[in-house]
Amino acid sequence: MGLDWLQGSFKHERRGDGTMFKGKKLPQQIMVIAMCIFLSLGVTGCASSVDPGAGYKSGYVADPIEPINRGIFAFNNVLDIIIIEPICTVYNFIFPSFVRDGVQNFMRNLSSPIIVANQLLQGDLKGAGVATARFVINTTAGIGGLIDAASATGMYYEKEDFGQTLGVWGLGHGFYLVLPVIGPSSGRDLVGLAVDSYADPVRIWAENTDHDWVYYTRVAVEGLDTRARLMKAVKDLRSNSLDYYAAVRSAYTQKRYSQVRDENPDAASAIPDYDDNTQ
Amino acid sequence: MLRIAFIALCLTTFLALPAFAGDKAGTDTPATQFVQKLGDKALTSLTAKDLPQAERAKRVRELLRSNFDIKTIARFALGTSWKTATEAQKSEYLDLFEKMIVSTYTERFQDYSGQSFKVTKSSATGKDWVVSSQIIQKDGPPVAVGWQVRDKGEGMRIVDVTVEGISMSVTQRNDFAAVVQSGGGKVDALLASLRKRCNINSKKG
Repeated sequence: MGLDWLQGSFKHERRGDGTMFKGKKLPQQIMVIAMCIFLSLGVTGCASSVDPGAGYKSGYVADPIEPINRGIFAFNNVLDIIIIEPICTVYNFIFPSFVRDGVQNFMRNLSSPIIVANQLLQGDLKGAGVATARFVINTTAGIGGLIDAASATGMYYEKEDFGQTLGVWGLGHGFYLVLPVIGPSSGRDLVGLAVDSYADPVRIWAENTDHDWVYYTRVAVEGLDTRARLMKAVKDLRSNSLDYYAAVRSAYTQKRYSQVRDENPDAASAIPDYDDNTQ
Repeated sequence: MLRIAFIALCLTTFLALPAFAGDKAGTDTPATQFVQKLGDKALTSLTAKDLPQAERAKRVRELLRSNFDIKTIARFALGTSWKTATEAQKSEYLDLFEKMIVSTYTERFQDYSGQSFKVTKSSATGKDWVVSSQIIQKDGPPVAVGWQVRDKGEGMRIVDVTVEGISMSVTQRNDFAAVVQSGGGKVDALLASLRKRCNINSKKG
């Protein structure tokens, strides 16, 4: 999803010669991925030696390029306020919730292959089974994925991606990263994003059959759906934080931590028992 | 045949009992009752749309003081700066922190469009309980909210609220730390920022 700002240049190059699958693209993408892995591994090493005990549960993540991140964050924020948020407001207003749920169900169903693959890579056979069964049920009984019929049988959606898989394999965040338009990420999650979008059957099909617009539309709709569901959360965090950037960084780090652990979302925080006598 | 059926019945009952008992202990404990009671009270007394702002804020403050360990939350949120702060700074900070929380929750309850609040289970972790609940929204998916409850001998108090895996206290701690850091490591920078926020909100109200 959405790594196009990185891949844009060689995409056009490929178009020119008419044939669809060219050797050129693959090595270049692999190089980008390898570079990202190298980067995230390298910085993980540094970060863990700086702050071994902090852990992501505490919302702490290394942010060596904070000034750049803050710049991109400010840009994203303006973009959101003047364009994306108004679009989402209109979207929420025009479409009744069953239509919006249909959109979400369809998008989730479309990402099933990636979810199944990541569950398997994480060694979560049960999760992979659930995701596979969900795909079969929702594609058939759920009319091509528009209805989440599987959740009625107790099989709920669980978001999995390669960033989480790397986390399960023991790789830390590396460093915090804010991507243009897409938003909060990390060295690890950027690699995850690259691998997921590279392996995505929908993207492969769309590109090899000259239906690239399908892929772009899908990425855009997915983004719209996600943002439109976060209207209140974003408004709340924006108005109730003193340093919005730091609050989002903390929230993102905590969220990813609990996703990697497939944790009960309500796990306890390490809040000490302060002795009131010793100030 | 009958004997086998009897044994099977005994076995299933035996196997099912602990699970059932565990479930019961998890959904109906002093901690879940505490949170359910607080939630019900908050929804009935704070969400009426025609409630005047000042009255809503007053009720939020009362509920907060009697059900949350505000001092522990505030101190956790200040992080390591607590040690370097002077007594005067600490007392102003505690005052501003409470004001900020009151105004935040007053706004949240004003905009509240949830339909129901349902406690699902509780689990004991170390010295605390974590009570899981769901807020069923009118428009949107249910929101998972966790309540970390502690009893230091004066009755139960909430020390953290977790929304979809994100701890409010931890987020606040990271938020405040960033403000102190960008202010050159000075607690005064945070106090100035908090003062500004409280003023803006009192004008809005």
